[in-house]
Amino acid sequence: MADEIRALSAQLAQDPQSLVFLRLGEALRRKGQLDAALRVAVNGLERHPHLADAHDLYARILTDKHDYARAFDEWDMAVRIAPHHTGALKGLAFLYFKVGDVAQAEAHLEQARKVEPDDPSIDQAIVMMRKGAAPPAPEPSAAPSPPAAAVSPAAASSALDEARVFAGLEGANEGLLLIDGAGRVLGGSLKDKAGTDVTDAVAAYLAGVSQEAARTAKLLGLGAWMGLSAEGQNGNVHLAHPTPEALLLVVRERGMPLGRLAILAQRATLMARRWLEKQ
Amino acid sequence: MSPQTRAVESWTLRPLTDFVREASVRLVLVLTPAGQVLAQSGFSRAVDVMSAAALAAAIVASTGELARQLRQQPFAALSHQGPKTGFFLATFVTDRGTLAVLAAYDLDVSSLGLVQLFYEQLAADLKAATPKGTVPKQVLAADFERELTDSLNTLFGR
Amino acid sequence: MSKALDLITRVRGVRGAMLVSTEDGLVVAEQLMEGIKGGAVAALAASLAGRLGRAMEAAGTGTSVFWHLQAEQGALLVVPGDASGGILVVAVAEPDVNIGLVRLELLRAAEAVV
Repeated sequence: MADEIRALSAQLAQDPQSLVFLRLGEALRRKGQLDAALRVAVNGLERHPHLADAHDLYARILTDKHDYARAFDEWDMAVRIAPHHTGALKGLAFLYFKVGDVAQAEAHLEQARKVEPDDPSIDQAIVMMRKGAAPPAPEPSAAPSPPAAAVSPAAASSALDEARVFAGLEGANEGLLLIDGAGRVLGGSLKDKAGTDVTDAVAAYLAGVSQEAARTAKLLGLGAWMGLSAEGQNGNVHLAHPTPEALLLVVRERGMPLGRLAILAQRATLMARRWLEKQ
Repeated sequence: MSPQTRAVESWTLRPLTDFVREASVRLVLVLTPAGQVLAQSGFSRAVDVMSAAALAAAIVASTGELARQLRQQPFAALSHQGPKTGFFLATFVTDRGTLAVLAAYDLDVSSLGLVQLFYEQLAADLKAATPKGTVPKQVLAADFERELTDSLNTLFGR
Repeated sequence: MSKALDLITRVRGVRGAMLVSTEDGLVVAEQLMEGIKGGAVAALAASLAGRLGRAMEAAGTGTSVFWHLQAEQGALLVVPGDASGGILVVAVAEPDVNIGLVRLELLRAAEAVV
């Protein structure tokens, strides 16, 4: 554990923007070094204020410190950012149970079960709660499906063999990312200019972009949204949804015109749709 | 239903739940200008609801009086924005008299534009949902404490 | 400001153009055809711009300089804040609008606003 903390601290010192603070904060929390964990979480939150996992980590530490009111706010914020964040839903359930609101606790666990129907810890918590015992405080390790940004890109992509998703497509090995509606990686990966893996962070943000795009198109009477193209200072992106639940992001150099990027995205969308139908 | 949303008057619940979800606001109170709370969302302590309701009612009263002295219609809405959080307070008229909505939102996840946009919907929904032909109940001094306790119990699901 | 918006709305298929405060999502100036709700466009465009901007920053593509939401019955085209000092230049258009031309006019309008 101490070695792990040292290694994670070194990684974070080398790249303060990285999401390794999530693992470091959790490792410190588990070791009982709550003040150090709190500092790591707060620093991480300052750099990634819109990351649901950062709020989740902070809430877990606050819960350990028995600061339940602030923990509630943090889990509440996590759910606002990522409505399907099971860690936060379980956390809120735990706090509701603690104040004696069993109905709300159960409602949150049911919500979590809808997102993660195969998570046995949720069923166990519901059973325990009905028996009158407090469900366990949410632990990332207790949840087989970790929150969105905590899914390791390597694990996600190897499990689903993303190479086959986009096989034969121009630039199939880079700048393509397929995620589900909750921001979990289904295939592909992304690196920034410095070569840092940014898959998890981008995936976590994309679910929010998609929800907002859908709402904007609907409320402005534009019908269903079909795609979102954007030109950045250092690169261009195109977001599409191969199925109502999945999102596909294509990232290319600034030099690739948006029109060509849209054609490439269309091809990738078709391939992703076929691949998803086979799963 | 949003888990943190509670109502003393059940007809306010659906419109308020929709508003909270769409505008991504952190805290909301629906109250009368006298400070009587009809519904709340996001508050975790009764004392916070009581203070927020009293302060909102005081603002409604003072801006109403300012408008009266300027011979203007009462101000429709009031907005304050800090570095991280914004507040929005507005009043509208229903069949049961004037109601006020106080909303606090994080600038990270919402904006004044979004709050205003979905507030218009909230006001319209609440007007439509107001029970017809009912007269607002006068709260007598003797009943006040019991009424307050009952309301707070309902607002916090106790 | 109104001249800049005028040039955008002259493009065939554009149903309205507006300047929006990035931070508040409020209308700064607008030229819209009847039936388009300026307040809604402003609030939603600013919100989507914020979320998209964060995703693009995370992806390492830098600040967005133009984006285009394509929908079945229309499109929203936007030149976001940083290029025009906290102001979004927004166009609401038919689905078959000439995107290249609207983009050009939006970028020109953004320059004029600065």
